[in-house]
Amino acid sequence: MTRRRWWLLALGIVLLGWILGGEWVSIHAHVPENHFIDALPGLSFLLAGIVALDQRPGNRIGWLMIAYVVVSYLGNWGNLQVPVAPAIGSSIGQQLGGAILAHIALSYPTGRLRTRFERAVIGIIYGVSSLTSLVILLAFDPRAAGCTRCAWEPAPFPSRTTVMTANLVAQRLDFILVLLFLAAVWLRWRRVTPAERRALAPLWVAVGVVCLVDLLGAFASPFPVRQPFAYLVWELQSVLYVSVPLIFLWGLLSARLARSAVGDLMIELDKPLPPGQLRACLARALGDPSLVVAYARDGLDGWVDADGQPRPLPEPGSGQQARTVTMVERDGQPLAALIHDPALDQRLVCAAAAAAGMMIANERLQAEVRAQLEEVRASRQRIVEAGDAERRRVERNIHDGAQQRMATLALSLAMLRDRVAGDPAIAACLDQAAAELKQAIAELRELARGIHPAILTEEGLPAAVEALADRSALPVRVHADFNERLPGPIEAIAYFVVAEALANVTKYAGASGAVVDLSRRNGTLRVEVTDDGIGGADAARGSGLRGLEDRVSAVRGSFRVENPPGGGARVRAEIPCDG
Amino acid sequence: MLIVDDHPGFRAQARALLVAAGYEVVGEAADGESGVRVARDLVPDVVLLDIHLPDITGFEVVERVGGGPGRPVIVLISSRDASDYGRRIERSGARGFIGKADLSARTLAAVLGGAGP
Repeated sequence: MTRRRWWLLALGIVLLGWILGGEWVSIHAHVPENHFIDALPGLSFLLAGIVALDQRPGNRIGWLMIAYVVVSYLGNWGNLQVPVAPAIGSSIGQQLGGAILAHIALSYPTGRLRTRFERAVIGIIYGVSSLTSLVILLAFDPRAAGCTRCAWEPAPFPSRTTVMTANLVAQRLDFILVLLFLAAVWLRWRRVTPAERRALAPLWVAVGVVCLVDLLGAFASPFPVRQPFAYLVWELQSVLYVSVPLIFLWGLLSARLARSAVGDLMIELDKPLPPGQLRACLARALGDPSLVVAYARDGLDGWVDADGQPRPLPEPGSGQQARTVTMVERDGQPLAALIHDPALDQRLVCAAAAAAGMMIANERLQAEVRAQLEEVRASRQRIVEAGDAERRRVERNIHDGAQQRMATLALSLAMLRDRVAGDPAIAACLDQAAAELKQAIAELRELARGIHPAILTEEGLPAAVEALADRSALPVRVHADFNERLPGPIEAIAYFVVAEALANVTKYAGASGAVVDLSRRNGTLRVEVTDDGIGGADAARGSGLRGLEDRVSAVRGSFRVENPPGGGARVRAEIPCDG
Repeated sequence: MLIVDDHPGFRAQARALLVAAGYEVVGEAADGESGVRVARDLVPDVVLLDIHLPDITGFEVVERVGGGPGRPVIVLISSRDASDYGRRIERSGARGFIGKADLSARTLAAVLGGAGP
């Protein structure tokens, strides 16, 4: 038994206690009615509600039936000899039940109200019922309720007249509300197709029964001693009421309704669906909001969702969150897998999958493209990151190898030079060699810096950009609103954006200066290089800018080159840097 | 004077150059940890310290050895340029920086500011 079922069982037991406890309270308060018959409709709603919740998870009708049980038996608990109980029982207990019943009927079979008119009608019914409940709760007068022995605390504004008026108004309004409700039912009848009309047969039967019960209400009385005929009518009314939830339940579970759900699905699928909406459609049709559609990869193991993200299938029998996997196949090849609540009717799932077959095949192709795109993106990012790591390694090797040896060589030459000071020819030759070596060291250093600047590794982006600005031939101002370190590849990409942009400004822009702005907001690093030159920078032309654009977009960033009308150019990159 | 550098060829040349210039080289170390140990044992006046060492950085060695009265004066060296370290050299507490290729009695005296051999 699943965890959900245990919960439902526990809920059923608690509500059984609620109904029977209410009757027990009535018996002890010597309420002269047939308590067995009074309990019958509640038991019927409870049974239907629990079975509906179990068999159609995600459908609200089950919950509405449970709510009906809770509210309807508040009246019996109102006989309890404790403060406020009679007031609550007489107000909420007697006013809200009908509203919930109307809600069940109009939202049948999905548990959702479909049109604005239906929502308005149900809203008005709840509104009026809640308002009369509130008025009675505030003005509850025990004498008006006919109870002289009850113990309670007086309501804030006890008034017999107010309570009687509220009850009277509620009765008069009831008539109008019933008419509104019937109008909504009639509109629904007109709206649906003949096939759906047949599928909705339980609704028409139940509405008929409720109307009959309401009519009989005028002649009914639960007290046999005073009015024997009215008591018989009351008994008949109760028995008829017992049938209402069972009719709905039968409808909910019947194959006809299942076919109608599949019919709804086919109508929905007739229109083009935005990506990812197929899952929502299937979930609605099957009444399982937790339903997941996983698509089979093309020639690969593994499953993806509509966005192309990996979506592994659940392991069979994996603990409490047990899910059932229904395979959708075409020509023996797996197309998709529906991962759903085990309580769903397997035949219904298969019917829905068959109805959505073409859409599933389409969406699978789209998911495959998205998955491939995602893989390309990820591999692009890995290539950029590997390139960055390789640059660091090369710079490090230059530093540890050639630069060290050249520095040692420079020391040797200097010492040698000191020793041969007496021989001008050799001294001149050594001076020449030392000068060449110095030049070579400087060039090698510049090369290493171009490959990967050590300061970027050592001190981070703002310091590295400052150093770059210091070495620039033009005056460059740097603003940075952060000082902390970012992931290595992000720092490197941002650094090279600035370096390339500044190199371009120096070479082509004829600018008198440039400004570099580095800012970090909402997990995005923003790099902006603005100059006051002649403009005309174009990422599509220079291979340097183009290469940068590629590197920035490889880490899901954006890169733009703008030439504002006032002159100058602006290179802007936004790079996600994960907080 | 103590020389801390992982490159044996450079250490040998630096030692010869310093000795020729009249400094007394009391020890050498090839990595940061042994550099810290030797500096504490021998208490040299000056430590010539490479920034890039195989275990810890020269900056960490400065933190553990230098700065404060009675402690050795530290001169950082590197085959990179000072500008490759931003303001880190200023902040480190070392007396100064000399590029490895520029190491000589003159540049050392300039950094040490008269505290010559």
